[in-house]
Amino acid sequence: MKRRWKINPIVKLGPGVSQAIRSFLADKGIQQSIRIDLYFSGCCDSSLYLCVDTIFETDLTLELDGLTFVINPEIYQVVGEVTISYVDEMGRKGFVLTSSKPVGEWDGFGVSDIKIQPNLYV
Amino acid sequence: MEQYKLFINGEFVDADSGKTFETIDPGTEAPIATVAQAGKADAEKAIAAARKAFDRGDWSGLTPAARAAKVQDFADQITRQGLRLAFTESMNSGQVISLARFMPLISVTLLRNLSLAAVTKFPWEEEIPVSGNAFAPGREFIRREPVGVCVGISPWNYPMYIACWKIAPALLMGNTMVLKPASYTPLTALIVAEAAKAAGIPDGVFNVIAGPGRELGEILCTHPDVDKIAFTGSTEVGREIMRMAAGTIKKVTLELGGKSANIILDDADMELAVEGALFSNFFHQGQVCSSGSRVLVSSKIHDEFLDKMIKRAESIRIGYQMDQTSHMGPLVSKQQLATVERYVKLGKEEGAELITGGKRVEVKGIKGGFYYAPTIFANVNNKMRIAQEEIFGPVLCIIKYDSDEEAIAIANDSVYGLAGGVFSTNTARAERIARGVRTGTMWINNYHIFSDYCPFGGYKQSGVGREFGLESLREYTQIKRIHVSAIADHKSNMTFQIMSDYKKVDGFSYNCPTNVVAGHGALSSIYKAVADLGCRRALILTDSGVNKAGLAQLVKDALVDFCVGIYDNISPDPDLETVDVANAVARELKADCIVSVGGGSVIDTAKGVCVTLKNGGKINDYLNFLVLTEPQTPHIAIPTTAGTGSEVTNIAVLTSKGGGRKLFIIDTRIMPNVAILDPRFTMTLPKDLTVTTAMDAMTHAIEAMMSTLANQICDGLALHAIRLINENLPLVVADGSNEKARLSMQLAATMAGWAFTIAQVGLAHGMAHTIGTLHHVPHGVACGIVLPKVMRYNVDHAADKLALVAQALGINTAGMKEHDVALAAADAVESLMKKVGHPMRLRDVGVPEENLAICAFHAIADTAVIFNGRPVSDPNEVLQIYRQAY
Ligand SMILES: NC(=O)c1ccc[n+]([C@@H]2O[C@H](COP(=O)([O-])OP(=O)(O)OC[C@H]3O[C@@H](n4cnc5c(N)ncnc54)[C@H](O)[C@@H]3O)[C@@H](O)[C@H]2O)c1
Ligand SMILES: [Fe+2]
Repeated sequence: MKRRWKINPIVKLGPGVSQAIRSFLADKGIQQSIRIDLYFSGCCDSSLYLCVDTIFETDLTLELDGLTFVINPEIYQVVGEVTISYVDEMGRKGFVLTSSKPVGEWDGFGVSDIKIQPNLYV
Repeated sequence: MEQYKLFINGEFVDADSGKTFETIDPGTEAPIATVAQAGKADAEKAIAAARKAFDRGDWSGLTPAARAAKVQDFADQITRQGLRLAFTESMNSGQVISLARFMPLISVTLLRNLSLAAVTKFPWEEEIPVSGNAFAPGREFIRREPVGVCVGISPWNYPMYIACWKIAPALLMGNTMVLKPASYTPLTALIVAEAAKAAGIPDGVFNVIAGPGRELGEILCTHPDVDKIAFTGSTEVGREIMRMAAGTIKKVTLELGGKSANIILDDADMELAVEGALFSNFFHQGQVCSSGSRVLVSSKIHDEFLDKMIKRAESIRIGYQMDQTSHMGPLVSKQQLATVERYVKLGKEEGAELITGGKRVEVKGIKGGFYYAPTIFANVNNKMRIAQEEIFGPVLCIIKYDSDEEAIAIANDSVYGLAGGVFSTNTARAERIARGVRTGTMWINNYHIFSDYCPFGGYKQSGVGREFGLESLREYTQIKRIHVSAIADHKSNMTFQIMSDYKKVDGFSYNCPTNVVAGHGALSSIYKAVADLGCRRALILTDSGVNKAGLAQLVKDALVDFCVGIYDNISPDPDLETVDVANAVARELKADCIVSVGGGSVIDTAKGVCVTLKNGGKINDYLNFLVLTEPQTPHIAIPTTAGTGSEVTNIAVLTSKGGGRKLFIIDTRIMPNVAILDPRFTMTLPKDLTVTTAMDAMTHAIEAMMSTLANQICDGLALHAIRLINENLPLVVADGSNEKARLSMQLAATMAGWAFTIAQVGLAHGMAHTIGTLHHVPHGVACGIVLPKVMRYNVDHAADKLALVAQALGINTAGMKEHDVALAAADAVESLMKKVGHPMRLRDVGVPEENLAICAFHAIADTAVIFNGRPVSDPNEVLQIYRQAY
């Protein structure tokens, strides 16, 4: 069963974000959805990040500015609504993800680019 | 509920905003305390306090011993709080009590061990006996001084212990600190602050502010008053900290993530390896940066190992962390639990085989808590994300391999490089693997062993810098080099002279320690000389010409049974290989003393052998100026030419094939211990060699006088040498067996050698070295041909000296102008050369005219040219001189 999120947004975009994502996708010649996911970036703190991925049956999805965002519902339950902004200032360039229920105290401190999910290793 | 405050400038204070936050027990999810939540204003206050305390100097200015004493008081106060610290640590971080109870103890031990190292082992000041700059003598030493205000940012897995990794070295080295503990686990750092206050650590030296990294991180990492940041945490945050620190070039040490490989070899002790793999992963619920989360297992033992691992993992008792019987407690937070679950799901999606665990655990009698079962994935491929990304939970990946090489390759296939383990019953094999893995720590047949004097830190994206040990102390200091010039006269400072028209060097030091024994029968002194040097096994170095003349045998007989052999395979203008081969012979014969019997070629080879025999290595390692610090292998020189003066000089001239020219060792330590000037040894020298080697000595004397380094002692020696050569060279040419004249020539060569040891040589030598190397013109021949031309070239810069030379050459200078007298000296040298039959032109000794230009380019780069009385920097001028000599 596909669950499409209709009522509350799962993601909010700051200025320039959709443009930055679109140009990333165009640059790589990819037409896929953008997954918001949790990852652990070493010793002590997990973060949210973006990756290009296919949609799984159980995912929550949201169409926004012509882009499709997806998130695993269990992760959504933990982090809540995700805000994505885009920065490009003084050597700090990339996406900053924060969530209504922060994943950790450094939530939004680092910047990340969009990872291209290696087709899951099978 | 308990309330904790910030610790700023020696006071426990509320946050400026009045905000607080709750901290929980992850085993029950119940709040246990409220903590003042620092914001930007509080961070600024803490930084200001630390800055002021540092600049005040009542900590940074203490002696290391006084600071260590205070740190020991601090350690005592932590000891007093031991029980409270252990319980709080366990309750707040989820560490099982059987682990947390050690935390106060190992923190105190670290403080005490590093105190001891700071006082007894740390090189606060270091002398640099050899500076490596031969032109600027002086005392050189370094001091290690504190960096200033250090920010420590510590993580939640070992809140108190890892805070002490930063506090101990920072404070011991004289820094002040602002510590920001992790927001999940702020309590024990604030208790440590109480201990600091009770110990009387001066106000502002140690400050603790709790609050969200997101908010405090930026101010802590960009504030201009912060000098260093020491962070333990995620690679993503570390990267951002490094970037922020770059703005004001703060020193940064980072302990970041890891994905360490624990390699189980086919010969491992099975039970030990199983326990090791278990401990390396499930200890503290896997929330350890050094966890061996990739278990690489040899295919030969894989199945048996796996069976045992499953059984053992399933026997682990998960329970409330304060329960003494629990092996594993909760993860630190809901978020951490969610991350672990996400990776377990991912592992299944990636095709890894979940063989045990993979689920939350409920602890009997407790509602809530973030418990997760020990989880094992088998059939993991190292390319999978569960094998590449750190999970920081009780999740273990088993990766099968076939060979040791493959295991190393898999271990190294990671962006991280923090730690790792090898389990084997063959230590040599295990160590080979440990050396091949690119990580900062490798444990063999053990895991997670931290020791106060053993450095810990990461390769690759696992971090920058080291914690623990002297290395950690170094990280909290900066190095100041202090040069105290031995020269206090601008007219003797060669460096300042680059911007001055005064090019001479007035001051000097005179150190020519060779014991010279001269006269008829002087050889007889050698027997006692060897004994006086404390030696019994003298090796004679000579060349085949000298050997054939019977001179080496004379020496052997004089040595009676102190001679271990005669080695004569030394060619003229010896190269570096000649020295290395001779050294091998000397080593083989266990020689304890070198006796050189020959001309400059043999004596210079012997000087090289004395250096390598003493210090090891190849002579190419020592082609330097003034780097030797101790006496070398004893050397007795018996010159058989009266030319180079090498028997007393501080120089060895060796041909470097790589450098395409003659290169030098210049060092007081290579001067022979004894020089024996026995006229018998030059009587066999053929006439042409007598003449040309004498012109080498003449060139030494005259060039030393013209040099920018010349002084009265040099001039005195040189002038008498010139006089002796002028008088005696014609006599020995007329009668090679004139013993008195031969001895005078030897003395002249020795004195000229001293003269240029003091003042170096100049352009004539630079030019002679070049045509010697490129066109094999013997050294004395080349020197003689170019010398008068160079004297004329230098005339305006050394007229006074050349006038003295003219007098020594017997010219009646009465009524002549100094300039003319100087030129007359050059003429007199040419007349002497003609009289004794010395070659006069380069064309006569096989130098092709078309090569003169390239010779000029090489000559100008010769070290000798630096000291020429007239500055030389135009190759065209040198070419002109070559043309005149052609
Ligand atoms: N270390 C110094 O202070 C210093 C100074 C100037 C030159 N050098 C170097 O010294 C080397 C030249 O030394 P050298 O001019 O003394 O010549 P040499 O040692 O090269 O000997 C030249 C030839 O003379 C023969 N010979 C020497 N003494 C003899 C004797 N008594 N009877 C018969 N044959 C004899 C040798 O067998 C050899 O074939 C060059 O490499 C030169 O660069 C060193
Ligand atoms: Fe010479």
